[in-house]
Amino acid sequence: MNCKKAEKLVLRSLDGRLDDRARGLLEEHLSGCPSCRQAAAEYRSMLALLRPEREETPPAGFWERLEPRFREEQKIVPYVLWERWALRAIPAFAALVAVAAGLFLFTPPAREMSQSEALLIENANPFSETRSLFEAKRPEEKSLMLIFASLDEKPQARR
Amino acid sequence: MDDRELVRLAKDGSRDAFAELVAKYQSKVFSMAMSFIRNREAADDAAQEVFLKAYLALDKFHMKSEFGTWLYRIAVNHVKDVLRKRGRAKEVPLDEVAEVSVTDENILEKAEGEREVETRRALVRSSVQALPEKYRVIVTLRDIQGLPYEEIAQVLHLSPGTVDSRLHRARKMLRRKLAPVLVQEGGSREL
Repeated sequence: MNCKKAEKLVLRSLDGRLDDRARGLLEEHLSGCPSCRQAAAEYRSMLALLRPEREETPPAGFWERLEPRFREEQKIVPYVLWERWALRAIPAFAALVAVAAGLFLFTPPAREMSQSEALLIENANPFSETRSLFEAKRPEEKSLMLIFASLDEKPQARR
Repeated sequence: MDDRELVRLAKDGSRDAFAELVAKYQSKVFSMAMSFIRNREAADDAAQEVFLKAYLALDKFHMKSEFGTWLYRIAVNHVKDVLRKRGRAKEVPLDEVAEVSVTDENILEKAEGEREVETRRALVRSSVQALPEKYRVIVTLRDIQGLPYEEIAQVLHLSPGTVDSRLHRARKMLRRKLAPVLVQEGGSREL
């Protein structure tokens, strides 16, 4: 065993984490190595100095001092939750308004009704008007009237 | 009543149950805060903050670990925050800690009985404070607070192997620094 390995085992031994076999090997090494014996003594001393002599206890009345802070905290928590909620709600509300405004601004205007649609709404027969055209006696007159009638139709708005 | 039952009751709003948990852990939390902060008033304040944080986060504790381990985790993080705010996170390199010498007249004057031990203890603690944070935390949890390796691994979210190697390195650094005040092999300066 070399000194580096021995140092690791010394620390494991001081932590109580060394099995019997490793302990035997360590003791064998320590018996022939003054510098590792020195290291072991120093580590033992250092760990003893680090360990507190007694557990520190807080000043008396720990809970009595803590309880009012709980009450205070509980008063604050609903406000904090509201504040957090409000902070998240503001951008959400703004986004909603923006979407609504967008919809309002970009909705295509309602197209004007064609004559036929107007007649249908008035519960009139849309063909009654054209019937007179078809019933015209002279074919030239009929063609001209059909052309003019088609020109009267407003072009439909593009969707 | 065990911790799980007390936590369950506290989650349901029982102040008494939480008061019982506080009574059970206040010394451990205070003692840990004290190990890092080394001022009773500030450590007391930090310990109270730790319990407040724990109380407010109780709903997030799903009992996957022990309550004590979870509380320690909150405590370690809180104390680290406190030290950062106080500007102590800026570590003093170990080499800059006043050199320790057994021939120092001040030490020799105090080198009698308990006072000598106290002086040496104070020097050891100062050297711990001068360690880089990751080593300081691990030495505090293991060698001052006496937490088992497994619990340290859980508190710090580290593997047991990392805890082992980090602790080994921290102890080596400390020993190198403190050798003059530590017991010499076969020497007479017993604790």
